[in-house]
Amino acid sequence: MPPLVDFGKGQRVEVVLVYQSLLGIYGDRGNATVLVKRLAWRGFDPLLTVVEPGDALPDSGQVYLLGGGEDAAQVSAVRALRADGGLHRAVDRGAAVFAVCAGYQIIGRSFTVGEDDQVIDGLGLLDVTTTRGPVRAVGEILTRWRGTDATGTDGWLTGFENHGGYTELGAGVEPLADVEIGVGNCGDGTEGAISGTVIGTYPHGPVLARNPALADHLLQLALDCELPPLPRPEIAELRRQRLAAVRGRRR
Amino acid sequence: MVSGTNGKTTTTHFLAAAVRASVAPETRRVVHNADGANLHFGIASALSEQPRSDLAILETDERVVADMIRLGKPEVLVLLNFSRDQLDRHHEIKGLGRSWRNALAAAGEDGPVVVANADEPLIVWAAQTAREVVWVDTATTWTQDASLCPNCGANLIRTQPDATGGHGGDWHCSGCSLAQPASDLRVVDGQIVDRAGVSWRPDLNVPGAFNVSNAACALAAAELMGVDVATALEGMRSVSSPAGRFATARFGETQARLLLAKNPAGWAEALPLVSTETVVLAIDSAAADGRDVSWLWDVEYEQLAGRTVVATGPRAQDLAVRLSYADVAHHCIPDLAAALAGHSAPVDVVATYTPFQRLRKMGKV
Repeated sequence: MPPLVDFGKGQRVEVVLVYQSLLGIYGDRGNATVLVKRLAWRGFDPLLTVVEPGDALPDSGQVYLLGGGEDAAQVSAVRALRADGGLHRAVDRGAAVFAVCAGYQIIGRSFTVGEDDQVIDGLGLLDVTTTRGPVRAVGEILTRWRGTDATGTDGWLTGFENHGGYTELGAGVEPLADVEIGVGNCGDGTEGAISGTVIGTYPHGPVLARNPALADHLLQLALDCELPPLPRPEIAELRRQRLAAVRGRRR
Repeated sequence: MVSGTNGKTTTTHFLAAAVRASVAPETRRVVHNADGANLHFGIASALSEQPRSDLAILETDERVVADMIRLGKPEVLVLLNFSRDQLDRHHEIKGLGRSWRNALAAAGEDGPVVVANADEPLIVWAAQTAREVVWVDTATTWTQDASLCPNCGANLIRTQPDATGGHGGDWHCSGCSLAQPASDLRVVDGQIVDRAGVSWRPDLNVPGAFNVSNAACALAAAELMGVDVATALEGMRSVSSPAGRFATARFGETQARLLLAKNPAGWAEALPLVSTETVVLAIDSAAADGRDVSWLWDVEYEQLAGRTVVATGPRAQDLAVRLSYADVAHHCIPDLAAALAGHSAPVDVVATYTPFQRLRKMGKV
């Protein structure tokens, strides 16, 4: 792919992986690996910054990533992020935020933890509210993406969900996708939420490895430009297999 | 009884070999679920096959530990480590730790003496309620699943370097009094320092620093069972391929060494042991492997760059995508037999649980 490697003209793009030690239990760091490589393959100069609690979030990032974690980690992460304030500043200047599972819950209005359903305030970046659901949602999930890039087979989002919290969307957000197989937000047929450059979603996989069109959509949101396609046969084959598996099994 | 995320089978084999070398040379005295059947049925089956035996050395799945403490009344319980594993079933590793802690508290003075890994905060917290604990500083290097205090939720602080030779550092909580306990035994630079302060070269016949850690825990348990250190180590050195781990097998013309890796901590230990030009990696997502293979992205496959990698097993394609993003050259051959066929030089195979067991059958090891 010789023309691709010149596309980015060596432009620096900073991807910030937020609190890997707290929000990194389900392999969601792979979302950072995927974004960085897809930038490099197109001739950008990606920089991956891994931030841990106690370190300030950089104000120079174009994409901020949050992943899944356990209850105590979630509470610790939301406290540290509120004290830091960097995620709000990032959104205000148009950077993209992509938050998965526990990360999705903490950027919402509130979520609950523990057997006694203690309510914890979220960061309020998305108008969504999470409470403990009747049954834990565990398994392969298939959804139909509502995004503008969601054409043809690229519009199927595939992943693995594993969450006890159920998320209800408020008026300030749109669903990211509609559920074909699985639970998604709360069993109401929607999955994830999107508002401006902020996206929350439940699937691991990691989700950007299994859905390269969503990865590129996120980069386009962050860079505010069209990116040339990046055909990778091994990813197309993985998608073919995962779609066939989830449809064959119907959980 | 031996439990923990990784090393249960090998540690149990070490302990059984140590005990057989001393107090029970007669095999029939010792019940041992040697093949790793470590759930309720597997343990009941092992016990019922040898009803007259007076010693049982049992590896026990993390979820069965609380029941075994309550119903099995073990005299010695070895708690090795805790890390992310099969999260589609376990959900939260802290919940497992809590179940151990509660069971030990409920057992009170009738409970076991616990041999516990002092490097692991969740193990330490779980073992605190036991009537007596022998602490082992295992020089554990995997710290990614121990960021927060299991007792109060505050950040854990690690001091570098580890005063006792480990890489993870000694730890203490920033919010409460939980801290790494003073160790009774410890691993220092690949040697085991026993309770009397004597340093022993383990000279094991299984590879890897983590197996020295396992041996240190087995040694502590063996001592509690009345085996002296020299005899215990002598016995442990007879262990070379516990339940097929590290066994060399033939697949047609191909000679292959089998390594098991079930989770990111296990892969972090296994990949540095890989020594062949061509490496076969076998991945599945059956119930015993964990149905979610997201963990592939927590493993640093980047370190395999420069080798030829064959991705195999039912989830080979997930691995192939991971390897592409890691810039590791690879072939994707989902069929296990085909992936192993026709290698002129020896190959190392690293496999998750289900393909590992299939390979043992195919290779008769």
